[in-house]
Amino acid sequence: MAEGLLSLAPGRRKSNLLAMIVLAVTVALIIVFSIAVDGFATVGNLRVILSNSASLVILSCGMGVVIISRGLDLSLIAQMVAGATVFSIMINAGAPGSLALLVAVATMVLVGMMNAWLIAYVEIPALLATLASAMFITGLFRFFILRGEYLLLLPKTNPAVIFLSSELLPGVSAPVALMFVALASAWFLLRRMSAGRTIYAMGDNFQAARLSGLPVRTTTIIVYVYAALAALMAGLVMSSASGTVDFRTVTNGTLLFEVILVVVLGGIPLRGGRGGIWNILVGVALIVVLRNGMTLLNVTAQTQDVVKGVVLIVAIVTDNYLNPRDTETDTVGDL
Amino acid sequence: MTGTPIVRLENVTKTYGGIAALAQADFDLHPGEIHALVGENGAGKSTLCKLIAGVITPNEGTIRVDGQDANLATPKDASRLGISMVYQETSLVPQLTVAQNMVLGRESAFNSIRKVRNAARQVLQRLNFKVDPMQLAGSLSTAKRQMVEIARAVLNEARVIILDEPTAALTPEETDHLFDLMRSLQRSGVAMIFISHALEEALNHADRISVLRNGRLTVTGQARDFDRNRLIHHMIGEELKEFEREPAASAGPGSALPVLRVENVRMGSMVNNMSFSIFPGQITGIAGLIGSGRSEVAKVIMGHTKRNFGGGRIWLEGREVRYALPAQAVADGIAYVSEDRKLDGFFETMNATENIGLGWMAKFGRRKLIAPLQRMAQAARDWESRLSIRGIGKNQSVLYLSGGNQQKVVIAKSLVQKPKLVIFDEPTRGVDVGAIAEIRQIVRDFAESGAGVILISSYLPEILDLSDRILVAKSGTIVAEFARGEATASRILHAAIH
Repeated sequence: MAEGLLSLAPGRRKSNLLAMIVLAVTVALIIVFSIAVDGFATVGNLRVILSNSASLVILSCGMGVVIISRGLDLSLIAQMVAGATVFSIMINAGAPGSLALLVAVATMVLVGMMNAWLIAYVEIPALLATLASAMFITGLFRFFILRGEYLLLLPKTNPAVIFLSSELLPGVSAPVALMFVALASAWFLLRRMSAGRTIYAMGDNFQAARLSGLPVRTTTIIVYVYAALAALMAGLVMSSASGTVDFRTVTNGTLLFEVILVVVLGGIPLRGGRGGIWNILVGVALIVVLRNGMTLLNVTAQTQDVVKGVVLIVAIVTDNYLNPRDTETDTVGDL
Repeated sequence: MTGTPIVRLENVTKTYGGIAALAQADFDLHPGEIHALVGENGAGKSTLCKLIAGVITPNEGTIRVDGQDANLATPKDASRLGISMVYQETSLVPQLTVAQNMVLGRESAFNSIRKVRNAARQVLQRLNFKVDPMQLAGSLSTAKRQMVEIARAVLNEARVIILDEPTAALTPEETDHLFDLMRSLQRSGVAMIFISHALEEALNHADRISVLRNGRLTVTGQARDFDRNRLIHHMIGEELKEFEREPAASAGPGSALPVLRVENVRMGSMVNNMSFSIFPGQITGIAGLIGSGRSEVAKVIMGHTKRNFGGGRIWLEGREVRYALPAQAVADGIAYVSEDRKLDGFFETMNATENIGLGWMAKFGRRKLIAPLQRMAQAARDWESRLSIRGIGKNQSVLYLSGGNQQKVVIAKSLVQKPKLVIFDEPTRGVDVGAIAEIRQIVRDFAESGAGVILISSYLPEILDLSDRILVAKSGTIVAEFARGEATASRILHAAIH
C-alpha cells in the first residue's frame, strides 16, 4: 500500500516530456560522440565523466530540493566555497579532519538557517534573500578570513585531503561516493520524509500548504540547511580535487548557471512542486556529456558557454511548445 | 422567435484528448434575447461560450453569424463580428484606468486621454454606472470590474455579449443591478448569453434557457415553460431531493461553553472590532456582503494573517490563543476550508488521496521524521468513501475532478484533522447542483458530531437553510445576530446593507 501511494507521488505521475526529450538528446549525443570522437567511449573517460560530474550532481541535488519547494538558492556557490574555506583553514591550522568537518558542518547549518530565517520569518523573496546572502558570505569570507585573497591552498599531503581524492572501493572514488550520498539523501528527503511531502506541497501551492497547517517554516529551514550541506559536500569534492579553494568560482557565475541549467533541463520547473531525483540525473547527463564531448573536441570554454545558453533556450521553447499554457490547459479542470 | 439567428451552432463538437466537452450541439441565439445556460460543472457551458467567443475552435460542425459561415479562429475574429465575452475572472489590467481598459486593444495611433475618457464616460453614463473613468481598474470591486467589462463590450458595439457566471461574486443588490442593465441592453438589440448556477436567475431573467448535461445540449425552451424542478430534472436526469430540517435540538447559546470567543479583533481596514462566540454542535452562519471582513477574520483566527498590534483577543475553549502560523491553529483543532479552492485550497499536482493525506499529516504526522505514507493513504481513503468522492481515475490530479469533487477533497483535507472548529468559507461556490446538497449534508453532519462550525456564505438560502444561529457582518463588524427561528432573508439583508 505504501508502494502504491509512492507510485502516485507527485512529479512521477505525469510523464515529463521535457525530461524525455533531454534524455533522448543525451543518448543521441552519446552515440554521435562515441562514433565521432576518439576516446569518448572508453572506461577511462567514463570515470573522468563520473568524477567530473560529482560536484555538479551534488550541487544540483541541493538546488533541486530548493526549487521543488518553490524557492531558489543563489548563494549555493558562495556557500560551497565558504564551506570549503572553513574546512581548509581548520586543517591548515592542524586540526584533524573530523573536527574540521564538524566545524564546517556547523557553519553550513548556520548559513542555511540564516537563509531560511530571511525567507520564512522575515518573508523576503528567496531570490533576493539568497542574492544578498551570497554577497554577504563572499564578502565576509574574503575580507575577514582570506584578507582579500581569492585563493586558498590546501596541503596536498594532509590525510583528510588525500582521503577526499582517494578511491574508497576499486572504481569508486570519494567524490563519486559523496555524489551517491547526495542523491540518496535527496531521494530520501523528498520521497520518504514528512518534510519531503511538505516540500512538494509548498511548491505546488504555498498558501494551501500554509493554511492546511503544514509546517512550512520548519520545512523551509530543512530545505535550506540541506542545500547548504550539499554545497559543503560539493566544496570538499571540488577543493580536494584541485588542491585550492577558489573564490573566482563564485564571482564568474558559470557554475551557478550550470546548476540551474541542470535542474531546469531535467524538467523541474522553477514554479516548483514537480520533479525529483530522476530529473536531476537527466539534466546532469546532458550537460556532462556535452561538456566532456566538446572538451575532447577541443571546443573553447567560451564556445561551450554559447552552446549551453542555446541548449537552455531550446529546452524552454520546446517545453512551451509541448505544454502550451493557454486558456484551454488552464481551464482543463472545468471544460 | 423568427428571423435569422445572430449566432447559430450546427452540430458542433469539441473534444479534449478524446473526451467530448461538447458533442453535436445545435444552438441558436436571436437578436435581443437573453439566453441562460445551465448545467452542472463540466456539462459544457463554458466550452459552448468559448466556441462562440472564438477562444477555442470546434473539431466538427459550423458556427454561423448572421447566417454566414464564420471562421472564429481567435477572440479578435469574434470581436470583429460584434461578439464579446465577459469572463468570470475579469480580464481588466489593474494598473490602467477604467477608460484605458475600455479602449484597450482598440486605441487609435494618436490616443488622446480626453477623447478616451469622454467616450468611456458617455458609455458609463448611458449604462447608469457610477464608476469614475479615471479610476484605476485595480481599485474596483469585483462587481464594478464586471460592469466595466460589460461597458467595454458596449463601447465596442458588441451585438452579442457572453457572460460567464456573472453573478458568482456579486451580492444580491449588485445582481439586481446587473440584470437591470442586461434588460436595458436587450432593449437596444443586444443578445446575451449568461451561464449561471443559480436557477432562479435563469428562470426570472432569461427569455430562453438551454440545459446542458455531460457535453450535450439536452433541452432549449422558453424560460416561462420551465420551473426549478424541471430544470434540475434536465440537468441531473433525476429530481433532486430537497432536504428538510428540524430546528436543532440544542440550539441557542448558553447551552454550552463557546468553542471560540473572539473579542474586538481588528485587522487592517477589513476587520473592525469583530466580536462573536461560536458554540459546539451548532452551525453559526455569518452572512454579509463581500468585503464585510468575514473571510479576513477567519484568516486571523487561523493565524494566516496577523491582526493589528493590540487588535483584540481570541479564546479557544477558554484559553487565550494567538497564532503566528496556521500550523499552530491546526494543532489546536481549528480548520479552515478556503473560499477559493484553486487559489489556496488544493494541491493541483496531486490526486485526491495525496491531498487528503497531507491534511492528515499536518495534524497527526507533524513530529514524524519519516512520512507515514500508509496511514496517510488509509485516512484519506476512509474520508474519500465517507464523502463519496468520485474520481475519474485514481492517478488523476484533482484538477481533473468536477468542482463538487474538488470541493469535497478540500473539505476532507480539513475534516481528516478531526478539528473542534471548522470554518467553511463559501463551501458550495462553483459546485454543481448535485454536490451542493451533499456538501450541505457534510457540514450538518459535522456540526451534529459536536464540533463548532462557522459557515461563511454569500448565498442567503444556504445560510438560512443550514445555520442554527446567524451573525451578520457589515464593514468588519458583527451588526446583528438571529436565532434560527427569527431569521428571514429580508431581515438579514436589511442588517447587512446600509
